[in-house]
Amino acid sequence: MLSMNPLEKRRQFAGLCLAVGLVIEALCLLWATPIAFVLFVAIGGSLMFLGLVLYLTSLVNTGRSDRRPEW
Amino acid sequence: MLHATTLIVSLIVFSAVVIAVLVVRPAITATRGGKILAFVAMFCLPIFCGLLGFSREMGRAKTTAFCLSCHTMEAYGKSLLVDDPTHIPAGHFQNHRVPPDEACYSCHTQYAMFGGLKVKLYGLKHVAIYYFGTPPAPENIKLYEPYNNRECLHCHLGARSFEDGVVHNADPATLPAIKSNQLSCISSGCHEIAHDLAHLKDAKFWKEGK
Repeated sequence: MLSMNPLEKRRQFAGLCLAVGLVIEALCLLWATPIAFVLFVAIGGSLMFLGLVLYLTSLVNTGRSDRRPEW
Repeated sequence: MLHATTLIVSLIVFSAVVIAVLVVRPAITATRGGKILAFVAMFCLPIFCGLLGFSREMGRAKTTAFCLSCHTMEAYGKSLLVDDPTHIPAGHFQNHRVPPDEACYSCHTQYAMFGGLKVKLYGLKHVAIYYFGTPPAPENIKLYEPYNNRECLHCHLGARSFEDGVVHNADPATLPAIKSNQLSCISSGCHEIAHDLAHLKDAKFWKEGK
């Protein structure tokens, strides 16, 4: 179940992308064919990249929301 | 090599499970320890696993078996077993002048910066054409770029058979022309027989390993 908090939701979505990307990469490693290489790079790699970017963005946004006003 | 794959897959599955736990129970990340765990699981581990997996896939993509697993490449694989030393690929494969388990890659990579990556991108193009386009007949397959002497000289440069070869030194201009890629090693009259698919059906084959 996705959280109601937008930051947590983004982090969960990042986690989903990473987990699915990792599972695809694991399956491709077990399946030694040229198409597995393509899937590893294209699908697994893209999902991992998306997950990492989303996670890092959520970290940056958390930092911003935690910052106290200067005055 | 199988153990390496098993280890990498185990690490990937472990990472995926930890990430799945964090997705299902996001409250874990509320504490400092949870935040560190999330950073390790969602940043460090995926990058580590991705790099390990990519390195493993790249290693596997260099093998002769990998290249020959495509139906289109069958005839090229067969040409490695032609019983004729003037057939350059056959001579190199059968006499282990290239590692037999990486025979295709050893000659068809580019010994230049990012050459390995470039030829793997060409490989991805092959797969795309195979699945989404119309692959040409094996005998009509051409190289993307003319074969560069750099690939031959990677091993042969400095070798006695190359540097002191009678034909290479018959004309003083020949050796510099070869080294500067002005005169191709596989040009007519030299080492011209590469994968001669047209005459494959009449060729005699080496019984590998006997």
